[in-house]
Amino acid sequence: MATQQVEAAAAGHGAEPRGKRSDDGQATYLVAIAEALWEEMERDERVFMLGEDIGVYGGAFKVTEGFIERFGPTRVVDTPIAEETIVGMAAGAAMEGLRPVAEFQYSDFMSSGFDEITTVLARYHYRAGVPLPVVLRAPSGGGVRASNFHSINPEPWFAYTGGIKIMCPAFPSDAKGLLKSAIRDDNPSVFLEHKALYRRIKEHVSDDPEALVPIGSAAVKRAGDDVTIITYGAMVHKALEAAESLAGRGVSVEVVDLRTVYPIDEDAVLRSIEKTSRALVLYESFRFLGIGSEVASIIAERAFEHLDAPVMRLAPPNHPVPFSPPLEDAFLPQVADIEAAVDRLSAW
Amino acid sequence: MSDAGSAWLVTPAGPVGYDRANEAMHTLAERRLAGEIPDTVILLEHPPVFTAGRRARVEELLWDEPSVEARGGLVRRIDRGGSFTFHGPGQLVGYPILGLGTKPDAGAYLRSLEEAVIRTCTSLGAEVTRRDDVQTGVWAGDEKVCAIGVRLLRARVTLHGFALNCDTDLAWFDGIVACGLPDHGVTSLSRLLGRDVTVGEVRPIVERHLADVFGLAFEPAPVDCARVFDSVADVA
Amino acid sequence: MTSIQMPQLGETIVEGTILKWLKQEGEAVAADEPLFEISTDKVDTEVPSPVAGTVTKLLVAEGATVPVGTAVMEIDDGSASDGLSAPPASSERSMGAAVVAETPAGPVPDRGPRSQILSPIVRRLAKERGVDLATVAGTGEGGRITKADVLAAAGGPTPAAPLGMVAPPAPAVTPASIPATPVVPVPPSVPAGAGEDVQPMSHIRRAIAGHMLASVNQTARAWTMVEVNVERLVRLRAAAKDGFQEKYGVKLTYLPMVTRATADALREFPLVNSRMQGEDIVTPRSVNMGIAVSYDAGLIVPVIKGVDAMNTAGIARAIADLAARARAHQLQPEDVQGATFTITNPGPFGSLISVPIINQPNAGILSLDAIHKRPVVVEGDAIAVRHMVYISMSWDHRLIDGELATRFLARVKHNLETWDFAEDLGL
Repeated sequence: MATQQVEAAAAGHGAEPRGKRSDDGQATYLVAIAEALWEEMERDERVFMLGEDIGVYGGAFKVTEGFIERFGPTRVVDTPIAEETIVGMAAGAAMEGLRPVAEFQYSDFMSSGFDEITTVLARYHYRAGVPLPVVLRAPSGGGVRASNFHSINPEPWFAYTGGIKIMCPAFPSDAKGLLKSAIRDDNPSVFLEHKALYRRIKEHVSDDPEALVPIGSAAVKRAGDDVTIITYGAMVHKALEAAESLAGRGVSVEVVDLRTVYPIDEDAVLRSIEKTSRALVLYESFRFLGIGSEVASIIAERAFEHLDAPVMRLAPPNHPVPFSPPLEDAFLPQVADIEAAVDRLSAW
Repeated sequence: MSDAGSAWLVTPAGPVGYDRANEAMHTLAERRLAGEIPDTVILLEHPPVFTAGRRARVEELLWDEPSVEARGGLVRRIDRGGSFTFHGPGQLVGYPILGLGTKPDAGAYLRSLEEAVIRTCTSLGAEVTRRDDVQTGVWAGDEKVCAIGVRLLRARVTLHGFALNCDTDLAWFDGIVACGLPDHGVTSLSRLLGRDVTVGEVRPIVERHLADVFGLAFEPAPVDCARVFDSVADVA
Repeated sequence: MTSIQMPQLGETIVEGTILKWLKQEGEAVAADEPLFEISTDKVDTEVPSPVAGTVTKLLVAEGATVPVGTAVMEIDDGSASDGLSAPPASSERSMGAAVVAETPAGPVPDRGPRSQILSPIVRRLAKERGVDLATVAGTGEGGRITKADVLAAAGGPTPAAPLGMVAPPAPAVTPASIPATPVVPVPPSVPAGAGEDVQPMSHIRRAIAGHMLASVNQTARAWTMVEVNVERLVRLRAAAKDGFQEKYGVKLTYLPMVTRATADALREFPLVNSRMQGEDIVTPRSVNMGIAVSYDAGLIVPVIKGVDAMNTAGIARAIADLAARARAHQLQPEDVQGATFTITNPGPFGSLISVPIINQPNAGILSLDAIHKRPVVVEGDAIAVRHMVYISMSWDHRLIDGELATRFLARVKHNLETWDFAEDLGL
């Protein structure tokens, strides 16, 4: 008991996420996610959370700070380090009518629960006619010097499986609205939170607990005429930076943020290509068989007659994420690489 | 498709001295750059000459200059990339002077040159290929039948070109580490096909394939342009 | 300040080595003057300056190998320091440098393998807007025609954006483009009623409609006519036609002879063989004669390339071949492109005089109408019956003037009235 109290205090006892907005009411990406969880937990008693260190410790990234104090240990469950069990528990709980939100401390560890995710979660509705409304949340992505055990983008693994909806928001308001949609959706979903964005991005986020962002809907984050960059996650922000710089040189870039990577909002992508006729697919999952491979194929199949140049992709190689900072920087697409790719594409 | 662009063809009758041809080629390239003349292709033979490109190292010339001159050849250092190569009677040398535009694609140009030569050899019955992107030229197995070396004038107009061995005396190649590659030999169309294949036989075929690959409609160059190539061989 | 970068000499070339600086810091440089020598794994070249000015900074050492796009030099040309390099034609500032040499457009377009590629959107827009791609200069890599080039030639992007998105503002019409005109005719305001059949226009019909309207709207069309005494031609043809048919397998008509005479006149008056390109006059050195052919789907104009190098017999065979292929719908795209002048021949259908519409982007189109016997005044003021024909030409007054047009036609007439075609027929 005493231990529990001390640790709870350390975690920021009673710290509601809403209280963590900045003075002007903006929420960071992390706070927006916490708000979504809090509001859905308040709204529906069947929603509960499980994961490593999410309760007493408040979460490895402090997303769930204050939750166990508000919702108690039966709804905020600290688990052992046992990913397969976490997913199995979530699946079983969902079969019994609950709506679990399971957290993985790093997306890299999801592969420890791979079988439960792909063989059970993804297929159970098909096999047994029973929907499993499970949300798997995990911090993903690199660029924070966390090296190859803590930097992966796992979305292609689960997109390949089919049966699981996969979201990779880039902005706080999208993160909040999409997580709420995922929790209310009866399908299993994987919600990937890019760890480089947790505290680096903030914006005004809706107070309305019914404000949702639809799953499977992309958004144009910057309108342009000459080249379209289709991207998601942390790369959206690099694309926007590159677009700003390119605008100064007279190249008008449109940035389409997929937001959901499975299913892909094909119509939104095609509308943009119809306008610009030039496509650069920018993605952080590995180049070969990453999400962008599918986007490029869709464009080639469905927008061929609108193209003025080949579809180009920019993504890291299929390679473990390097630890050394210069190597990691060389590994990930940087703003300069994006600009150079757009230059090549618009000069074609 | 756009229609074929009209282009000039210069085909001097006899061998043309290297220095004169090289100078005339540069002059024509300047005129092409200025838009005064259309794309121009020169197809000729040279008297024996070893030319060294930018990357040529002196060790690659196995016979010293006096020995070369004693055999009736010349040695020249020129402004194209690449290493040593040989030009001489029996070898069809082509200098396409083409405008590549303000955003040139040199790699594509080299591949197109290779393609024109490959089609020429294939239509004569020889089995040839290109190699990877690093080793430009046309090969039969491990032996090179056509060397390719190109330079751009002010990054827009092509200079130099290709050298296709028809019935060249391949003994000349013993004098150099050809193209800087000690493990690769050279061959000729005559050797590949087991009969005498002359420059005269090959030249119209090359013309046709250059026209196809580059979309050119050849007409003979005006006399004042062609005349400068009709000269006797240079004296060393 | 203009930043000079390691240029991209090809798609697969990722870096270059500075072999030698040809200009040092503080040196003046003229536009297009070589700045430095580079070597890449494919080609070597010297890199010319896009502007006139003074070299202020060398950012990289001789012998260094840097990626494409790396800034290697800075030139002060008086422009704003936003990194944009001024195009050579507009930069007149120099510090003692020679007069700026404008990048010459030249009479001949730069042509590389990439220039042969027409992307899907380029083909589609060209078809939809009736743009003749042979007249469009490509600003893409290697001289490729881009979507923007086609849109500029057609006069700007369509106002209606797909799916209700905000339309981008139309780009300013550049001097290189033809002034914007509606290419598709305005639909009639009278709806079809009972007793009327409705049929959508075929694709070819729509293309012809667009082309004709564009021609009439864009050219300053004038018209001149001559009357030609073709008595000798009629007699020659009567005597030769059987032998010709037997030797060449094609019918001998008057069209090949008129084509031959016209080709000669075009060599004599090359301006009539020319076309406008922006504010330039482009004069091809040879003649590609378009021959209008009517067939079941409408009208098509196949082209005899290099007709000025052919004799009448060759022209006759070429015409017969193209007409047959046209009627069999077997013409290739290159068969209908590149005409420098056009001849139409409604004579066999009976018209006396015609006012044809110019086949864009030519300077003129000649019409050969029906040959009739007429009483005419001959030497000694006697009246005789001769075979006469009216040959007329619609011509573009933007390019040529009345005197030239008339002298051209006079030359055609002279050729037809004085030449002995027998030898040219190879009989």
